[in-house]
Amino acid sequence: MTQRKRLSQGKAASAPRRSETLMGEEEDDDIPFTQPSTSQVQKGLEKLTPAQVDQKTAEVVQYFLMKDQKKIPVRRADLVKHVVKEYRNIYPEIMKRTARTFEQVFGLKLVEIDFKNHVYILINKLETLEGAPVRSPSNPKMGLLFVILSVIFMKGGAVKETLVWNTLKKLRVDPGEKHEEFGDVKRLVTDEFVRQRYLEYVRIPHTEPLEHEFRWGQRAELEVSKIKILEFMGELHDRDPQSWSQQYKEATTPSSSSQPSTSSQR
Amino acid sequence: ISDSCMRRARGDGAEESPRQNGTAGRRRGEQRADSGDGDDAGGGLGPADMPEEDNDPGLRREIRSKYRDLINSVQQNREDMLSPSNNKLHEVLEEANKLFRDVRQAREAALDAQLLVVATDLGKEKASQLFVEGNAFDPSAFAEHLLSFMGLNRLEEGDEEQQHGGGVDGYLPQDAWHRVAERAERCFRTAPCFHYMMGSFHAEPPPPKQRIERQRKAPSKEVKRIMPTQLKKMEESQQEATEKEVERILGYLRATSPISYYEFVIDPKSFSRTVENIFHTSFLIRDGLARMYLDESKLPCIAPVEEGEVENGGLSSRKQCIISISLRSWRELIDALDISEPLIHPPTSQSVSQ
Repeated sequence: MTQRKRLSQGKAASAPRRSETLMGEEEDDDIPFTQPSTSQVQKGLEKLTPAQVDQKTAEVVQYFLMKDQKKIPVRRADLVKHVVKEYRNIYPEIMKRTARTFEQVFGLKLVEIDFKNHVYILINKLETLEGAPVRSPSNPKMGLLFVILSVIFMKGGAVKETLVWNTLKKLRVDPGEKHEEFGDVKRLVTDEFVRQRYLEYVRIPHTEPLEHEFRWGQRAELEVSKIKILEFMGELHDRDPQSWSQQYKEATTPSSSSQPSTSSQR
Repeated sequence: ISDSCMRRARGDGAEESPRQNGTAGRRRGEQRADSGDGDDAGGGLGPADMPEEDNDPGLRREIRSKYRDLINSVQQNREDMLSPSNNKLHEVLEEANKLFRDVRQAREAALDAQLLVVATDLGKEKASQLFVEGNAFDPSAFAEHLLSFMGLNRLEEGDEEQQHGGGVDGYLPQDAWHRVAERAERCFRTAPCFHYMMGSFHAEPPPPKQRIERQRKAPSKEVKRIMPTQLKKMEESQQEATEKEVERILGYLRATSPISYYEFVIDPKSFSRTVENIFHTSFLIRDGLARMYLDESKLPCIAPVEEGEVENGGLSSRKQCIISISLRSWRELIDALDISEPLIHPPTSQSVSQ
């Protein structure tokens, strides 16, 4: 254990942290990770064989794929602690290769959705084709999520939670009761969807009793096509999607926040 | 406050039915303007109103109760009131206006103020809906359309069962949410879920497998009980048969020795019998009961070994060779040696075959 500490300290090369890390003996893997510099990465790469770097990249790819099954975003801290480990000095290089692998081999995009906390998700690079056959059994949870996202979007981007609950009730989904298909609906919507970053569930200040607001989460911003939602709305209401002019404008303006950025050296 | 909100709204959403109309709203506005502060109780009371009904506790209570009812109805039916398709909020305010005429004391007026706060809040929300320039999105209508999309079977009127909150009666099919999901997934760019093609180790199977084995064991035991007796018979018969054959052939050999090997073993009528003869003859050679040699024409011949010679001839002069025969050579031999009849007659009992 101590050996690893010394290794990472030496290679990450920031001496003042030494005093911090000596404190938590059990948690010596939780050394706060700072992005190594380009020169450090270079030096690190020189000491490793290409096979080693490829192997580590492959491990990171696999880690992401497994984590993505639950659609829970991956934290950089976990990634470094559990997979990258002593290769953390070449972390940017590994991430670059990982992103490239995802793009070229899997057709997926690795996106950092939280620059402050360094959290990543995987999304599909490819659009689903209109006439394409359904490749796997549909997940009814997506239907529920879709309803909520649609309401939020059509209502301008933020809605009070009561609106969502009432709409769901009309669809025979009651957050107070156990649903046949979804089980604990409240938990699904306010916990699972939020952790997956599909929704944001924020407190409205000064409300008594406490009320929350629903907004689109970062994953939704990246994964969901607003114009396609509007098209579906049009189909349902038998209206031209453009008749909802404000929503249509929102759906067709490319906004900077929804542009996915691939993880790269920062 | 609610007035100004609504007036603005009326300007933008012309197609909406006018929510604030003449008398009641304006009157309230005047009153407010006169008193100078928005939510005070005392403003607007005419000095001429005389006390008789002012102090009637029954009436006071009634007014307060009605106010509370109004407040409750606004809070309980919030969504309903917000819907742009009705005028309920306006009706509530009308009611409040009527009540207000009888307000004399601070307590009632406080309730009036409370009602105003609640109604204003609602009014603001309703107005913000309108701000979306006639893009009003009605979640109730959305829900209705979605239910149809999901394949809701709407029942006839007169059905006793009331579904949730007095909504549309009917049965939702089992795959209702799957239908929505299928259509919805097209709007998503979700990364496909990773899974192993052949599946991973499943800890499950052992219990069922054991059951199957136990079931199978029962019948097989019975079968085995029958089998051994049959098998034993067969094995014995096989060994015995071979020995018998070898002895029989020895008999032929002793009767007609020495003889050309091929004339001895070949059965011109059956290739397989020929092979069997070769097989049995080899036992004689192995046991030293017969010997093979090449004659002047270099053709193989076979002759029995005298009883006395068996021991002597033993190990020192033993040689081994492999004889093979094919259909072609068998036929050629038959032609060349002009064999028409088998020397070794086929056994009369059923042939021993593998």
